[in-house]
Amino acid sequence: MQAQINSQVSSQIVVENLNHMYRPARGQPVLAVDNVSLEVRPREFLALLGPSGCGKSTLLYLMGGFLPVEKGRILIGGKPVTGPGPDRGVVFQHFALFPWKTVRANVLYGLERAGLPKNERLKRAQAYIDMVGLQGFEDSYPSQLSGGMRQRTAIARTLAIDPDILLMDEPFGALDAQTRSLMQSELLAIWRRSPKTVIFVTHDVQEACYLAERVAVMSARPGRIKAIVETKFDRSDPHLFKQPAFIDKVDEIWALVRNEAMLAQRLEAH
Amino acid sequence: MAMSETLSYLRRGRGVRRHSWRYTVMAWLPLIVLLIAWELTTRSGLVTPFMLPPLSAVFGRIMEDAASGDLLTTIGTTLWRALMGFGISAVAGIALGILISQYKAVRWFFDPIISVGFPMPKIAFLPIMILWLGLFDVSKITMIAFNAIFPVVTATIAGIEGVEKQIIWSAQNLGAGRKRLMWDVLLPAALPQILTGLQVALPIALIVGILTEMAMGGYGVGATMQTASRMADSPGVFAGIIEIAIVGYVLVQAMAFIRRRLLMWHPEALDATAA
Ligand SMILES: Nc1ncnc2c1ncn2[C@@H]1O[C@H](COP(=O)(O)OP(=O)(O)OP(=O)(O)O)[C@@H](O)[C@H]1O
Ligand SMILES: [Mg+2]
Repeated sequence: MQAQINSQVSSQIVVENLNHMYRPARGQPVLAVDNVSLEVRPREFLALLGPSGCGKSTLLYLMGGFLPVEKGRILIGGKPVTGPGPDRGVVFQHFALFPWKTVRANVLYGLERAGLPKNERLKRAQAYIDMVGLQGFEDSYPSQLSGGMRQRTAIARTLAIDPDILLMDEPFGALDAQTRSLMQSELLAIWRRSPKTVIFVTHDVQEACYLAERVAVMSARPGRIKAIVETKFDRSDPHLFKQPAFIDKVDEIWALVRNEAMLAQRLEAH
Repeated sequence: MAMSETLSYLRRGRGVRRHSWRYTVMAWLPLIVLLIAWELTTRSGLVTPFMLPPLSAVFGRIMEDAASGDLLTTIGTTLWRALMGFGISAVAGIALGILISQYKAVRWFFDPIISVGFPMPKIAFLPIMILWLGLFDVSKITMIAFNAIFPVVTATIAGIEGVEKQIIWSAQNLGAGRKRLMWDVLLPAALPQILTGLQVALPIALIVGILTEMAMGGYGVGATMQTASRMADSPGVFAGIIEIAIVGYVLVQAMAFIRRRLLMWHPEALDATAA
């Protein structure tokens, strides 16, 4: 019981008045995240939406501990983030696979670092490779795979370490509709089986409404949280996408996102 | 940069494997034509055999030397020095490159030294080297390593610093600490560039090896050529040139082979095997 409470608390994410400024060696500094506050409950599935370039990836990198928190705070389980760690599994937007390792070796890497016994590692890696439908490609190198296959390798690699927190940056962005829908079900199944706190960045409003319990919409750059919308639906309903309540919710969020996307375009035009 | 272009050309040239024997003949044809022209020129009487001995005479000399065992000792000596120097430059160069990429103080110290040292004709240190280390293998090998280390260091630094940030992040995210990061991620990711640096260093090692032998004597192809030249033995001089050419070619090919082996994962290797 005690352990369970601990793991619940340790997977809570609190972001307070977070700012992030990129200072490129040449050119103007860019304010990418502007005064973002956000509280993600333990084991909550939160989707993050927002126009391109609004700072979604930056926010995830900050939570992952890859970028220094200069202004504001991020608390994971009550403790400030000090650096990267396997408690927060990240699926990167551009996959970030190890090109010199095969699919299997990529998936095995985190398990090796976790110090699992060899048999266990191999079994677990295979299970996740099968789950993302890459059986038969275990010995292929990333450069021999399609974009969607690389993305699925990255998903398997992160899921395999079974982190308490999942930070996923457009994890299904390179997948076809069919594979995408399969991966959505797999992700939900995993989330139900061993509940994790998930932050899921996507541009697909329907996907966000379907997967998440709450959807946070970010404004155009500099990114702020513009609105947070509850999206609790019965996901086992096979006709969910046709339910009026669901369609209304998608429309509502669409309107919010579209507005910001138009603003972002105007910003770019300047 | 011309150097690395030449190398990437060599690398791509490995696509030769995909072509038929006709392509192979075509690729070698210019060289064969040149050698035939050499032979014909010497037979026409346009030049004296002293200025340019017939190719057949030169090959005859190489065969003689091979039969007597001299060839093996001569080439063996040169190879041993060149490869020792190259090996030292490889190990020390990669190690130094790692340290420079990781520690600010080390970088601060070596940055100006490398900037000045890389373009400098380091062969000018030869008299000093002789003063300090004498005429034997130690000074020759030191000279070779000293010349060959620069491209290795710079390639290692450039390779490590060019590793995509998110690949590093994903390794850290999966639990890699600082040491692990170096061995598991930075070095493998930098390997293509490091190998390019080694591919530049290898011919330098051979060149400097021959030069030190010419200047200091002590067997080896360079010393043998120098002796032959003093004794007006022009087939002996040209035999040395042909021997160096063949040794150099074999070394460069061997290095390219090692590169293919080590970079099995790289698109450059995968493309070639796919066809
Ligand atoms: N390394 C960097 N240096 C300077 N500016 C950067 C850097 N990375 C991102 N930015 C800027 O920060 C802003 C936010 O970038 P970020 O990648 O977080 O956006 P995003 O919301 O993930 O966009 P997308 O949906 O297209 O992935 C962008 O305007 C971008 O120009
Ligand atoms: Mg992004």
